[in-house]
Amino acid sequence: MSFWDQALEVARIDLRIERRIGDVLRIVLPFAVVALLVFPLALGIELSAISRLGPAVFWAIGILFGMQVALRQTADDRPERRDLYSLLGLDPAARFVGRCLSGSVLMAGFLLVLLIATIVLYSPDLPPGWPTPVFAGLALTAIGLTELGTLAGEVTAGLRNRTALASLIVAPLALPIVIGASQTLESLARDAGILRWLILLVATDLALAVAGVALARPLEEASR
Amino acid sequence: MGALVVLEDSGVTLGGRSILRGLSLSLGAGEVLGIAGPNGSGKTTLLRLLATLLRPDRGGGQVLGAALGSAEVYQVRRQIGMIGHTPAVIGELSLRENLEHAIRLAGADPSRIEPALRVVGLDEAAHRTVETSSHGMLRRTEVARLLITEPRLLLLDEAYSGLDFYAQELIDALIERATADGGAVVVVSHDLRYLVERAGRVLNLSAGRLEPVP
Amino acid sequence: MNRTRILLGTAALAVGVGLWFAFTSPVDRLQGEFSRIVNIHAPFLWVAFLAFGVTALASIMWLVRKTPRWDRLGEASAELGVVFTVTGLFTGMVWGQAVWGRAWDWGDARLATTAVMLFVYLGYLALRGATPDPEMRARRSAILGVVAVVQVPLVYFSVYMFRTLHQTPSIRPDGATMPPEMLTALLVNFLAITYLYIALLVARLDVARAEERVAIESALAGDAVKPPRLTEVEDV
Repeated sequence: MSFWDQALEVARIDLRIERRIGDVLRIVLPFAVVALLVFPLALGIELSAISRLGPAVFWAIGILFGMQVALRQTADDRPERRDLYSLLGLDPAARFVGRCLSGSVLMAGFLLVLLIATIVLYSPDLPPGWPTPVFAGLALTAIGLTELGTLAGEVTAGLRNRTALASLIVAPLALPIVIGASQTLESLARDAGILRWLILLVATDLALAVAGVALARPLEEASR
Repeated sequence: MGALVVLEDSGVTLGGRSILRGLSLSLGAGEVLGIAGPNGSGKTTLLRLLATLLRPDRGGGQVLGAALGSAEVYQVRRQIGMIGHTPAVIGELSLRENLEHAIRLAGADPSRIEPALRVVGLDEAAHRTVETSSHGMLRRTEVARLLITEPRLLLLDEAYSGLDFYAQELIDALIERATADGGAVVVVSHDLRYLVERAGRVLNLSAGRLEPVP
Repeated sequence: MNRTRILLGTAALAVGVGLWFAFTSPVDRLQGEFSRIVNIHAPFLWVAFLAFGVTALASIMWLVRKTPRWDRLGEASAELGVVFTVTGLFTGMVWGQAVWGRAWDWGDARLATTAVMLFVYLGYLALRGATPDPEMRARRSAILGVVAVVQVPLVYFSVYMFRTLHQTPSIRPDGATMPPEMLTALLVNFLAITYLYIALLVARLDVARAEERVAIESALAGDAVKPPRLTEVEDV
């Protein structure tokens, strides 16, 4: 089986499992929407300010809760399964890529639904021509966040409090992604160029992909 | 033909503790080696070392021609098959799906899946999920996988425990097939009598060291 | 003919009658045709409250009696409650968009508390989905089902507790604030949607009982496991 065949097989099984247990759809997504609801109520902010706050709240909640998508239980291999994958000849880099593929699909779907909920709840003033750059930013954020979460998941594999620990690792490292994503819409609203922010996202995604592939074997060894 | 497995004064330290110390052994084609020892003696660690999943902290060795701890092991891992303490299955999938997933990753022929399921007696039960299957059924699934992948080095860690008579016969058939094809088998068990019946040679692992059984 | 089918058929009829009343009753002078939405919005939310109340009662009964039928009832009613809440919320948002110019208003306490109530019960269903063992699932759901119902009075009284955009109830103990024809249409729809809930609940319980039968019958995995065919090893 080629590298990409292995990666696609890992992604396929991952998505099949997610379809069966539905952690993202039934738990993470509703939790994130509740956060969208609770945020303005807890802050007690002026109603007119809520629509201005919408995009920022979306990215903040998207990133923080998106980490739960990347760190979902189905993406955490138990030790005996890791051993089996090693003995079946699964390239650790292919496993990383496969997890990122499936995770990105789930993450993009999660962010898209969250975006729709944000638009309904916050009625943000979206600038003309917003769909294409926003969806591009959303897709790139989904990929970058998944790569970061998958890497963090590998670094913390088998450890106690893996989810909380990995989230702690991911949150600050996600800063370039947060900046690139949020500034894309901000710049569009100000009629300023958005290209540099999209380039920042692309560069971050590429760097994380290269890091993930290059570090896959050492990470696998470290998790034993 | 050279030995399939050679350990030279190998030691493994885990969690700051020395689990294996100064192990030397050699295993040739067609051999069945039994490893006995009390709980906590390092039997599982030894098997994982032979599976190239651990690297020695002292000494060295070769498994199927690949130096332990080197990148060469990635080339030979597919020729190693292992049944560990805990069945290596994905809980949310059915037995058949687990088998198909493993066979695809191994690059083996998927048309062998149905015959393998028939041999292990799971052809009518393979649709069941792991969560609704017994330990014995999960073991049979692992046997089916190994019947298809035909490893040269077969490692069995307490593979017989909790199995009914039929499932034990399957493990025996797996051993017989591996050795007949020029492979080697290492069987770990705390049941010494069982090992003596099946292995050509039995060693005792005690305090991290291998000794002949008196 | 099967009891459930009769119930579902007559419920569909009742809903049809309710819709006829809704479309033939007079409309509000200010809101126009959009005022007819009240005939769906209010009954659906009322039934959602009822459904979650039934879940709470069923949860208490399970904790006392520990019989599976109470757990089935609690689950079925919670599922319907979620569906009715979503419908009520959606129709409310359509109504809000038409009348107030915005689908969602943070100033509307009832809207916000109803949405939070929805997620409480989504959490209840997620908890059930994540617990494979039936006994443990029933116990945990029962405890959550009792606790979660506190959300219902919070939603109902939110329009009194907070001076907000949402109108206060049109039917109160001191009388109704709407014309008799509109009130009649609303009451007919309350009855029709309540009847719909009962019919759907019975149907859902039938499905739950069938699922349980299948689970019991397929529990004996060992029956499908056969002796190995060692003579066929070479065929692999």
